[in-house]
Amino acid sequence: MSEPYVPILFMLGLGFAFAALSVFTSLVVGPKRYNRAKLEAYECGIQPSPQAAGGGRIPIKYYLTAMLFIVFDIESVFLYPFAVAFNKLGLFALVEMVLFILTVFVAYAYVWRRGGLDWD
Amino acid sequence: MSLSTAAYDIALSLPAGVTGLAPANDNPVADFSDTPWWVALIKAVGVFVYLLLSTLLVIWFERRVIGRMQQRPGPNRNGPFGLLQTLADGMKSMLKEDITPANADRIVYTTAPLIAATMAFVSFAIIPLGGTVSIFGHETPLQITDVPVAVLLVLAVASVGVYGIVLAGWSSGSTYPLLGGLRSTAQVISYEIAMGLSLVAIFLYSGSMSTSQIVAAQSSLWYILPAFFSFAVYVITMVGETNRLPFDLAEGEGELTGGFHTEYSAMRFAMFYLGEYVNMFTVSALATTMFLGGWQAPPFIAAIGDGALNGGWWGLLWFTIKLWMFMFFFVWLRGSLPRVRYDQFMRFGWRFLIPITLAWVVAVAFIRGAQLGFLGQGTFTIGGRELSVATVVIVSIVAVIALAAAWIWDDKRAEREAAAEFNPPEEIDPFEGGFPVPPLPGQRLREPSGLAVGSGAASREPVTSSVTSTLTSSPVKEETHG
Amino acid sequence: MGLEEKLPSGFLLSTVEGLAGYMRKASIWPATFGLACCAIEMMAVGTPDYDIARFGMERFSATPRQADLMIVAGRVSQKMAPVVRQVYDQMPNPKWVISMGVCASSGGMFNNYAIVQGVDHIIPVDIYLPGCPPRPQMLLNAIIELHKQIETSPLGVNREAAARAAEEAALSATPTHQMKGLLA
Repeated sequence: MSEPYVPILFMLGLGFAFAALSVFTSLVVGPKRYNRAKLEAYECGIQPSPQAAGGGRIPIKYYLTAMLFIVFDIESVFLYPFAVAFNKLGLFALVEMVLFILTVFVAYAYVWRRGGLDWD
Repeated sequence: MSLSTAAYDIALSLPAGVTGLAPANDNPVADFSDTPWWVALIKAVGVFVYLLLSTLLVIWFERRVIGRMQQRPGPNRNGPFGLLQTLADGMKSMLKEDITPANADRIVYTTAPLIAATMAFVSFAIIPLGGTVSIFGHETPLQITDVPVAVLLVLAVASVGVYGIVLAGWSSGSTYPLLGGLRSTAQVISYEIAMGLSLVAIFLYSGSMSTSQIVAAQSSLWYILPAFFSFAVYVITMVGETNRLPFDLAEGEGELTGGFHTEYSAMRFAMFYLGEYVNMFTVSALATTMFLGGWQAPPFIAAIGDGALNGGWWGLLWFTIKLWMFMFFFVWLRGSLPRVRYDQFMRFGWRFLIPITLAWVVAVAFIRGAQLGFLGQGTFTIGGRELSVATVVIVSIVAVIALAAAWIWDDKRAEREAAAEFNPPEEIDPFEGGFPVPPLPGQRLREPSGLAVGSGAASREPVTSSVTSTLTSSPVKEETHG
Repeated sequence: MGLEEKLPSGFLLSTVEGLAGYMRKASIWPATFGLACCAIEMMAVGTPDYDIARFGMERFSATPRQADLMIVAGRVSQKMAPVVRQVYDQMPNPKWVISMGVCASSGGMFNNYAIVQGVDHIIPVDIYLPGCPPRPQMLLNAIIELHKQIETSPLGVNREAAARAAEEAALSATPTHQMKGLLA
């Protein structure tokens, strides 16, 4: 195999084909007897509210989590090439990485102090 | 910089023996040169069927084992030993009515389960299931493919899989799915950071992100030993990643009904179900590959017949056994632990796992640096084993710091517990708060001061005064005025 | 209408009927739905002594979207009636109902203005289960009876024929007020 990434697409294709086929079959095969109540949102049997909570908008808290995730995830991804090339880079990499992780810790401590990691 | 460049030169000029287990190149060791595309396709289909059958089996396994843990038989009516149970569940879902709520965003609502199910399968493409075997005359590794960034691919695919959850929650147009989807997403991405960090230690040891390379590097020592802490963190985060008990907050029935899949029925729901279980297999397979030597036989079996049982198709057996150990662990957790609270869960992830894993990465980097001789070349001999001075010093420093941290943490906790302990006063005034309060066990009621003398108004004086001070418009006050 | 209901009568339909019946019967997920004291007995069915999991029914789904069976466990008050109906309506087809206990079946001892005199006033019931409350064994018996019904339930044209026959039988039956004797 000259191109090692192609078999990943095989797996993707198989998974998607199976999922799509199953859902499609169930759409064709299953009974369809709809009524108004069946198509309403489920809210424990009481009259459903016309929209999801907050009009379908997402609480700001989750944006914060998402942004923190991006910051720290990218930082952890930066550690990967360092770790892989560690035995070639030597002491230089070690010192650099400690400095990098210290910087991450400063950001982390800041977020903690400002209440970014508080859940109630 | 002169110091570091000097060490860099030393590192490059080291003989191969000093660098220990670390392989020099970071490319896959698995040889795919004799693998035409159709063999890769056959292997992909094989892995796909393997995963589907495993999923069918593991749901039955889970229900049976949980049954046993709760001293009941579990599903045993449908098919021999109830083995057809999962199949029946699937077929039943196929024959159910498929509902798309009127409020839902139809396209996204249909796409979400497809994403969840599809992405669950993709990661398995880079998992090595066994050694080199012969398939239709082609010598090929029992692995669909391997790339230099294989593990990064797994993490990336897991991140895309989260879209399935968040889109399902959003597109249902209903409150419970929205909240459940958000919770689940926040949970999965939070634990993904700690998971990614825990794997850095493995890359430091193996010097590669290719899975076949990582497995090959573990031929003498499984990474569960040198990277034991990473293993612990990984196991915790993999439970958080897959939304399983005790971290299945997204579908806590008592608060969010079904979470993100509340509005899903029939096969679309079954796709989420399938995705969840295949995800369990994926994270378990990654754990097996990273920490338990992948498809390699356990050391004592590997020694039999000069490695006759350690390669080829035999690898599939060892791999499957290790995989199912993790599946049993998942079931065991589910059978024994209650669900944690959301804020505790998030706090544990962000405030404990992430910093401590970062610290562990630093520690491993130092240990690894010492092993590779970056920190000095001195050695000494104890009991016939040659040990590097730097390694011993670094390991001791790490151990001392860890012990000190544990000690301080323990002290702090004891202090906090002592502070939090509520010592009820020995004596209470039952009318202090304005209404009568019964005493706690071991408490005495405060005797009104002048009771023994007997004049009613005088003896009740302290009580009524406290009542009037707290309840300004109470009838008692009016009485005293009137 | 789904494909299963468009199949022509004959060998194919009876095969599909048998297979679909078995699959549906083998995997009935009840909706979490307890109304009163009978619900305690319903929960007891999940305990080791009775173990509803043997039939693959331990997956009580919290949402009606994934439920097949509604066990109306307990008296239905007038105020609860719309909720019962809504939850029933939101369950996807095919769906079944067990009316558990005399109160759900007929109002039972609550012969008053506050209680619906039998849940069949608001939703169609497949199995009536007497008892006040019925023991877990009785609920298991009701479930097994329901399994038999589901396994032999007709599809497509056969289903229409069966519905016609049932209607004919109901029309030609003696009305209750004309029955004489002990009504046994």
